[in-house]
Amino acid sequence: MRQAEFMQTDDSTQLVDHFCRHEFARLIAALARKFGVRHMELVEDAVQGAFLRALRSWPLKGIPPQPGPWLYRVAYNLAMDHLRRDLRWNSVASAGSVEDPSFQIEHPPYCEDEITDSQLRMIFACCCDEIPRESQVALALKTLCGFGNEEIARALLISEANVAKRLVRAKQRLRSLKFDPNALSVQDFQARLPMVQAVAYLLFNEGYSSTNDDRLIREELCEEAVRLALLLAEHPWTQGPRSSALLALMLFHASRLETRLDESGRMLQLADQDRSLWDHRMIAEAGRWILRACDGEPTRYHVEAWIASEHCTAKSADDTHWDRIVQAYDLLLKFDDSPVVQLNRAIAIAEYSGVAAGWQALNAIEHQFRDRYHLWTAAAGEFAYREGKLSEARRYYERALSLTSSATEQTFLRAQIAKLDTPELDPAKPAQ
Amino acid sequence: MAKFMFIYRNSEEVESMVPTPEQIQELMTVWGEWMQGAASHGAEFHGGDGLQPGGKLIDDKGLVSDGPYVESKEVVGGYNVLEAESYEVAIAIAKDCPVLQQGGNVEIRELAGLG
Repeated sequence: MRQAEFMQTDDSTQLVDHFCRHEFARLIAALARKFGVRHMELVEDAVQGAFLRALRSWPLKGIPPQPGPWLYRVAYNLAMDHLRRDLRWNSVASAGSVEDPSFQIEHPPYCEDEITDSQLRMIFACCCDEIPRESQVALALKTLCGFGNEEIARALLISEANVAKRLVRAKQRLRSLKFDPNALSVQDFQARLPMVQAVAYLLFNEGYSSTNDDRLIREELCEEAVRLALLLAEHPWTQGPRSSALLALMLFHASRLETRLDESGRMLQLADQDRSLWDHRMIAEAGRWILRACDGEPTRYHVEAWIASEHCTAKSADDTHWDRIVQAYDLLLKFDDSPVVQLNRAIAIAEYSGVAAGWQALNAIEHQFRDRYHLWTAAAGEFAYREGKLSEARRYYERALSLTSSATEQTFLRAQIAKLDTPELDPAKPAQ
Repeated sequence: MAKFMFIYRNSEEVESMVPTPEQIQELMTVWGEWMQGAASHGAEFHGGDGLQPGGKLIDDKGLVSDGPYVESKEVVGGYNVLEAESYEVAIAIAKDCPVLQQGGNVEIRELAGLG
């Protein structure tokens, strides 16, 4: 997977998907490591400059046989030129004449492993307590995924101005910390790993959750999160059961990504998805990672991967082991008792023990849903529908509809309401 | 067959835009597809390159000045050589050139040499 992604296709007139975005991020990491995070802006300018040069030349001259090293060389030279100019200026200013010997280093080679290491160091640099979590995510998208500000804004549903503000704040922190990614010890890596995993997890959820109507950017966010998780799960410094479980969880979910919407972009419930379209190779890959995750303490990633795997490996919606899923949700509550987890547990209970038991669980948590009440009311609508209480179901769905601003969710709820008007359906047995 | 030089010009605004990596890749793809498309006209692009911004101008008194030095708001961004049957073919190909979508233009000149 990694090999294929970073290599150019055989067709020399084409770059692999997202080559520029990923190479941009890799070069930022590699050069930030060479020149220090305190020169982050210089590094970003140099990498940007290299890409602009490529944009001028490659379309007309052709893509060079090794586009990665080409960009690296140009970016490196741009950064060096800039530093030398600065240095000369400073040495004139201080009446000194000696050039800093550290800038005489030979042109460093473009080394695949070293760049991977640099990227990993960069991730760990972005994830520290001193930078607010929301800025960490923006910074991760910018420096690790090569997203532009406009793309970050679309992904996180915030304004471009807000993105810029978060980035500035994060970079100021980085500079003031005088952080040196090269100085990270094994202990630092261990201490920060949970935070890095949390950021990757957050990225994935931003992409996977249905609140963002921009389908393309959501899929790209999920892809990026999987890429980071793969890096964590494969690299000797960061691999381990937690990283493996995190990757497995993402792969299980990602395998169903394409089938969650129908041709017209409407959201489909799990039971209505075409299981033959799920990516079974990805599910198998997820299965291999979950095996590697088995030794060690279970974490929330393990439990979530377990739940996702139950869905992914059930032959049909009817074959789902709801008993195990309820069990898994009970366990998940120990790690995360947030309203959304409780809600999903109530839905699982309704599947396993019947709607009456589901109602009980649902009613017990109603008071917790102040800001995201539409999720609760949508579930209540579904329960009422299954009981055949159509007018009650309609009331709930309409309430939910009035509470959400996401077009995807609105379309889904309208479809649910339309279902209530279809007389040939026996409401006691909703369509699977 | 004749050889034609394609000279691409862009407005200064377009030249100074800073696209995101994803947009850069899109632009490259669009150009790549356009150049491949010459084959369907029985033509083929040989060599060419983009030009870095700036430049120097040396006049007849030996004075050197820095670019941009042309009055026009347009900047030459690059060139290619196309081998094609005729001006008509070259024009047909140029009409789909991505530079036109950004408000730029293409100048076509036949090379004077033979072969």
